[in-house]
Amino acid sequence: MKILGSFRLWLVAVLAVGVVAFVATPSASTWQARAAHLETLVKCPSCQDLSVAQSNATSSLAVRHEIVTMVKAGDNDTQILTTIERAYGSSVLLSPSVGGLGVLLWAAPLAVVMMAGAIGWRLRRRR
Amino acid sequence: MIVSWLGRIALYLAFVGCLGGVVAQARTIRRGKASAALLWSLVALVGIAGAVGVMQWALITHNFSLAYVAENNATFTPLLYSISGMWSALEGSLLLWSLILGALVVAVVWRYRRENTDSVVAWATLILFVVAGFFLLLMIGPADPFLHNPAHVLQGAGPNALLQDNPLVAIHPPLLYAGFVGFSVPFAFAMAMLITGRVQERWPLEQRHWTVIAWGALSVGIVLGSWWSYQVLGWGGFWGWDPVENAALLPWLTATAYIHSVIVQDRRGLFRVWNLSLAIATFAFTILGTFFTRSGVLQSVHAFSSSTLGPVLITFFFLTVGLGVGLIAWRGDALRTPVGVDHPLSREGLFVANNIIFVGFAFVVLLGTVFPLLYQAINGTQVTVGTPYFAAVAAPAGIFLLALMALAPVVSWRTVDGPTVWRRLRVTAWSAVAVTALLLVAGVHHWPVLVAVFLAVGAAGSALRTLKGVLVAARRRGDWWEAWRAPSTAGMVVHLGIVILAIGIVVSTSYTTRTEVTLASGQRTVVAGQVIGFNGFHQVATTLEHQTQLVVSVDGAGLRPAITTFNGRSSQAVGTPAINSNLLRDVYITFDAVGGTGAASGAQVQSNVPAGSVVLGVTVEPLLAWLWIGGLLVGIGSALSLGRRRHREEVVA
Amino acid sequence: MRRSISLIAIVALVLVGGLAVLLATRQPLSATSVQSPLLGKQAPAFAGQELDGGSFSLARERGNIVVLNFWASWCTPCKEEAPNLSTLAWQEKHAHRHVVVVGVVFNDSLASARAFERYYGSLYPSISDPQGTIAFHYGVTSPPTTFVINAKGVVAATLIGPASQRQLQQVVARVAQ
Repeated sequence: MKILGSFRLWLVAVLAVGVVAFVATPSASTWQARAAHLETLVKCPSCQDLSVAQSNATSSLAVRHEIVTMVKAGDNDTQILTTIERAYGSSVLLSPSVGGLGVLLWAAPLAVVMMAGAIGWRLRRRR
Repeated sequence: MIVSWLGRIALYLAFVGCLGGVVAQARTIRRGKASAALLWSLVALVGIAGAVGVMQWALITHNFSLAYVAENNATFTPLLYSISGMWSALEGSLLLWSLILGALVVAVVWRYRRENTDSVVAWATLILFVVAGFFLLLMIGPADPFLHNPAHVLQGAGPNALLQDNPLVAIHPPLLYAGFVGFSVPFAFAMAMLITGRVQERWPLEQRHWTVIAWGALSVGIVLGSWWSYQVLGWGGFWGWDPVENAALLPWLTATAYIHSVIVQDRRGLFRVWNLSLAIATFAFTILGTFFTRSGVLQSVHAFSSSTLGPVLITFFFLTVGLGVGLIAWRGDALRTPVGVDHPLSREGLFVANNIIFVGFAFVVLLGTVFPLLYQAINGTQVTVGTPYFAAVAAPAGIFLLALMALAPVVSWRTVDGPTVWRRLRVTAWSAVAVTALLLVAGVHHWPVLVAVFLAVGAAGSALRTLKGVLVAARRRGDWWEAWRAPSTAGMVVHLGIVILAIGIVVSTSYTTRTEVTLASGQRTVVAGQVIGFNGFHQVATTLEHQTQLVVSVDGAGLRPAITTFNGRSSQAVGTPAINSNLLRDVYITFDAVGGTGAASGAQVQSNVPAGSVVLGVTVEPLLAWLWIGGLLVGIGSALSLGRRRHREEVVA
Repeated sequence: MRRSISLIAIVALVLVGGLAVLLATRQPLSATSVQSPLLGKQAPAFAGQELDGGSFSLARERGNIVVLNFWASWCTPCKEEAPNLSTLAWQEKHAHRHVVVVGVVFNDSLASARAFERYYGSLYPSISDPQGTIAFHYGVTSPPTTFVINAKGVVAATLIGPASQRQLQQVVARVAQ
């Protein structure tokens, strides 16, 4: 397939915009950003499925306070989540940890992608 | 007592209608003579309509001799909520489902009345009678809506208060059910094709109208549900990946795949196995959905109370899937086509990718929904699978789908001709880059948002290009009506709706600002560029309720978030959020607390806030209104498809 | 083609069969024990008017085990739980075991709450919490939520969701030790 000149130009433009976008994206290094991100991963203990970022219940405020304290103390994300899980039970994390059976949750989308690849490859071969 | 028996007799009549229909169809299949299917379907419909009528009459007249009315209605329940009370709990919801199904069976029998000796039609009708009979059997047996209430109660328990303050309760469930029930038709025909072995025929194309209408109803129903949540729940969210929400999403996903995949069968006779499987899967998912909602097995704010229906529904689900899969395996040879997909990047190839993404995503959502059950069964402890997981898998799926929407309309069938595709795509492609660059310059530095916008402009561009082609052709012919009826018009309008919806979702979830502000009367503050001002209290008292409103201004517009207490006598504080909405952003304000000793308002008192001041919860969500606009466009597009011209005659493979 | 269809068919059947068995064998939801921030702490004091007259004060119940249940008439799992709580109240009253069951209804209208109480034959008093202050102090957002407070006034257990009869008996027995 011949790659046209105008297409090449367009690709360059996309790449340029992409690089600028990637470089300009602020990283989540401020403690507020980290805390905000972690808050979306923890369920409010007394709610059904709201995260502590969304709920203003007292238990939610308590957890938010703990997260902020731990982030400021310099713990990394995994440590914080593990501490909270130990304090509030395994069902307080909104996304199960990858260890153990949780690996199934992430293996499934991967399997779909692999199957898509396999089907695409078989279609190519059939030509 | 009489009311109870009247209702029951109506149900028995409906069941007799279904049974008669099954027997009549069986005889047609055996002997090839036309049956009285229409008569039997009418008997069934009359029966169900009668049952619904009895229930509605009991609800409207607050007749507490029916246990269902006593539990879901009270003497002070307004008319609209008495009517909608029929589907606010389990047994009654089955009445609504059966009513729609009964009407659908009559419609199908009527539509194919001239071909009712045709074996596919006969089998499909028989299967529809069986499905209707199943739901009736549920009501005759374990989920009896007409259970007599032996106690003489003067007052009912009243409907769920969450369900009686928004008129959407009268629209959202019926639309959803119309969608779910509508998918019984492609299912019945798919099974009929497999049973009779006539799998090379064009029945799926015949079905497309039914399917698209059902799909449209389901789509609008889901969007309305999100809108309702948004207005009521108080935290500005609209989708929680709750098990019952997921249960409605699953059939929508496979139905969308089906609608697209059938196009390929229309053009080139391919994808027969895909299409049959998708039709069966969609119906199976609706049954699974009824299980999640009614079994009490998963926690959900939408769930009805738990009941014994669980095992019955699961058995029906498994039978459906088992029979479907078995039949497809059995007919495997007949489903083979001599031609195949020529190239993965041809239009057929892109449709394969489409099918894989939708089915794969449905599989992952299903896994995430049942995973807590699986985990507890194996490990004994509880886990939650919530938004972080689902959003993480939805994002790439959404990205790929947007890309497909941009590419598929400009790619040719069978071949891959780079220069032609590029020629068609050039304007769109450059527009996408331009808009993205503009946003980058304007300060949007969140790369997921930029990628989404880039692809969304691409998808919109391709859709608009197709529509432009249709309009040009119509003008050349001098026939504008032709434009509405062109095969691609409705679909491209729906695509535009989806693009707008997608942008709304991506931007509002990425840039939401949520905060609490304390304001004294006359004071103002700025949240995310919006000027919020508090200007005092306003008390409103009616015979039914007392409302303390806050006079709030948002960018100059007036809002009245409030706290309402009912019945005057010191009780209950129900928060009423106030939303100021425009095309650019939604500002969502809740009356969270009041300062000093402010007991008069019924609001939460916060002691560290000075008297006369209030604490407002403020959420600013950009582009949120685009969700509803997109949803509206999807609905309009689906309605447009009713006039869709059928494509050219059958292509011989 | 035929072989791959059969293979996919078998895999699909096994997966769906497994799913069906898993789902069919699940029990309807009951309450989960949660780690509320109040565990081990003194239960916030409160007092209030009972729905059918009379007054209640937590301080007066020192020495008894208090099963404190937050509910609302619009909450569907509360309807399932109500008979279990009444049964518990009845059993404990007749066993003279110093266990008191009390409900707190919040975010609800008096009329609906009273109708609920009467309809479900409540055998224990419920206090109205019109401004949600008691619920706020206990950190309750979604009913049904049940706290079990031991004889010293310390929160010993928290359950979220509809508690089954067995769960209630077990948790009371555990706290009584």
